[in-house]
Amino acid sequence: MTAFLKRIGIIVLGIFGVSMLVSMGSLWALREGDFYKPSFLVNGVSTSDFDYIVLGASTGLTTLNTKVIDSVLHIEGINLSMDDTSISSQYLMLEHFLASGKHADICVLASSASSYDAISIHISDNDYRFLPYVSRGYISDYYASFSGTAAGVSGLSKWLPMAGVGYYNAELFYPSLISLVAPQHRNRFDSKGNYTYPVGSGASKRILSRHPKTIYFKNTYLAKIKALCDSHDIQLVCYVSPLEQQEAILEQTSYDVINHSTLLKDSRYFYDAIHVNTLGRHVASLQFSEDFRSYVISESFDKLRMTE
Amino acid sequence: MLFNSLTFAVFLPIVFMLYWFVFKRSLKRQNVLLLLASYVFYGWWDWRFLGLILLSTLVDFFVGLQLHKTEAPKQRKFYLLFSLCVNLGLLGFFKYYHFFIESWIDAWSFFGIQMHASTLEIILPVGISFYTFQTLSYTIDVYRKQLEATRDFVQFATFVAFFPQLVAGPIERASHLLPQFSRERKFDYSNAMNGLRQILWGLFKKIVIADNCARYVNIIFEGYDSYSGSTLFVGAILFSFQIYGDFSGYSDIAIGTARLFGFDLKQNFAFPYFSRDIAEFWRRWHISLSTWFKDYLYIPLGGSRVALSKIVRNVFVIFVISGLWHGANWTYIVWGLLNALYFLPLLVLKRNKVHIGIVAEDRILPSIHDFRKMAVTFILITFAWIFFRSKSVFDAFQYLKGVLNETLFTIPEIRPTFLFVLIMIFVLIEWMGRRGLYGIESLWGNYPKGVRWGVYYVITMIIFLFGAKQQEFIYFQF
Repeated sequence: MTAFLKRIGIIVLGIFGVSMLVSMGSLWALREGDFYKPSFLVNGVSTSDFDYIVLGASTGLTTLNTKVIDSVLHIEGINLSMDDTSISSQYLMLEHFLASGKHADICVLASSASSYDAISIHISDNDYRFLPYVSRGYISDYYASFSGTAAGVSGLSKWLPMAGVGYYNAELFYPSLISLVAPQHRNRFDSKGNYTYPVGSGASKRILSRHPKTIYFKNTYLAKIKALCDSHDIQLVCYVSPLEQQEAILEQTSYDVINHSTLLKDSRYFYDAIHVNTLGRHVASLQFSEDFRSYVISESFDKLRMTE
Repeated sequence: MLFNSLTFAVFLPIVFMLYWFVFKRSLKRQNVLLLLASYVFYGWWDWRFLGLILLSTLVDFFVGLQLHKTEAPKQRKFYLLFSLCVNLGLLGFFKYYHFFIESWIDAWSFFGIQMHASTLEIILPVGISFYTFQTLSYTIDVYRKQLEATRDFVQFATFVAFFPQLVAGPIERASHLLPQFSRERKFDYSNAMNGLRQILWGLFKKIVIADNCARYVNIIFEGYDSYSGSTLFVGAILFSFQIYGDFSGYSDIAIGTARLFGFDLKQNFAFPYFSRDIAEFWRRWHISLSTWFKDYLYIPLGGSRVALSKIVRNVFVIFVISGLWHGANWTYIVWGLLNALYFLPLLVLKRNKVHIGIVAEDRILPSIHDFRKMAVTFILITFAWIFFRSKSVFDAFQYLKGVLNETLFTIPEIRPTFLFVLIMIFVLIEWMGRRGLYGIESLWGNYPKGVRWGVYYVITMIIFLFGAKQQEFIYFQF
């Protein structure tokens, strides 16, 4: 029996040690590469002072093409949106952006229409992408502020990387191998952080009516983003992307909002009900550039420019 | 409690330590501990259903004692029927109530008569089919005087609820497992290490093979109408590996866990996908259920020593009931019927016992002839699994229609290349280890210790790095 327990002890220690080594190596490889947005921001983006950044979920990722906006307005921005994330994740991304020594004059929050009012006690599906930086206090604090297995495991990864890597093995270990071989490989976004959905084969159909959807801007993380922006002299602009079946009605709010929910009148611009395709993205980005122009040249922006 | 959960990883060492250190001097206390542990294990899912296990236990313990006391045939038959009614009644109510009510209503509506029935919110108790069959085997064996009734309630209750195999088998025979509860147990190092090895292999099958397959299988079977024939074929193949990895993985963990406590459970899977015909497959797949049906249903019906018409009837009865045992859905019945159709020609032509031994026993590779037979058997089984996995018989036929057309020869839309690599490695290991009781039992046995342990570490790391998110075991629902 003693021999058995000794052997088990050695096995468990061995497995623990190897798992920890592999996990730390995996997170290190991700930290060194550009695979996910958080590490791309650190390694793949040399600019540290942006005119604007786009923070958002899949709607922000696939609607606002920063290449088009930059070329129209002659400014420099980057899209830091990640699919399957909520406003809390965007808050974390903003913290990460600032903690990485970068600054922007305007922050465009392009979350999904429903996110502006959603309240979740769980972390978002893709928040694990911040795990390579879990030793940073703001990231571990973020995980700790949520409940659920995913948040618990992610938070535990600060001390026990094998917890997060084991739980998110498919999402972290495979990519870490790719990062190791090709550090510049990005996970479905271009050098400016954009991604686009293809144009489908569906026939063109005029959109005649939409269901109204009132946005109250109740999400508590929105206020946190605003506070963080204010403390870093960043102007916050909220953006509602084009919707195929809904029209966003904005409840009176103190936030600056660009509402494009009814911008596109034809179904050929849409990939699905809430995402535009490449055609829709182009039209939406051009119109956004026009609407955004006033913010770029606004007095406050000029003031900010001068103080720099 | 799931074997592949953190809770079980904490639960098992605690029970193990208490069992071998605190209670090692008293057999009775060890049994009490196992009984309590088994109830905690089951109650972790839903403690209310412990009452059902306790009821089955009490009834069969009481019936066993009465059968032991009396010699009068009428009384003996009465006690047996009482046990059958209670056990099968509970099983029927909790598992088949909705199925029979709905089938009854459907049957009448076919003739234009609309009927309404009140429905109940019935939850299917996990593992009810398994422990019901296990406890029934005790009563039937005592009735047949093949086994002496036990007078130790704790031993009997632990036999019924023994946690390693409580919820998904193997379905143990009382004659095999029950006496082990009255035998003094001594810790056996090599047996325990063997148990750990089997647990490791079971976890690999479940977490790496079955759960990774499940991710694709769920997508393909849910949206079968939008995929090509080749993708649907890939989905069916992956389900074959999912169900094998899931169920045989559970059995391996169960048998390995039992070994840690000094118990020997029967082999439940003997490399069924290396079978050369359907008869061999059914001797190697879910052995504990197949032999249960053989001993308690097929042989009492006359088996194959009766007229041809009765042999045909017996085969259909066995396979249909076997299908129904798996679940209250017509899909399982059609799955059973299909297997009966596969099996019957072999039985009628007396070719059902052609392949008894291990395929290519003295060789490294199978002959082309054997390989062809294995491939044909696997394809037949895979097609039958489509019925098993589909939500309805209609869906299964639509799925088959989707497979059998010209798109079968196109490139699949879903190509899980890495998973196929893992499956190939898995099949290779199983092939090399097919002479043992499980894949890695005797594999690398002649190699130096360092090499063997290196392999076990690699398997552990594969589970850690390539295992899919925790999914329930398929057979829990049965």
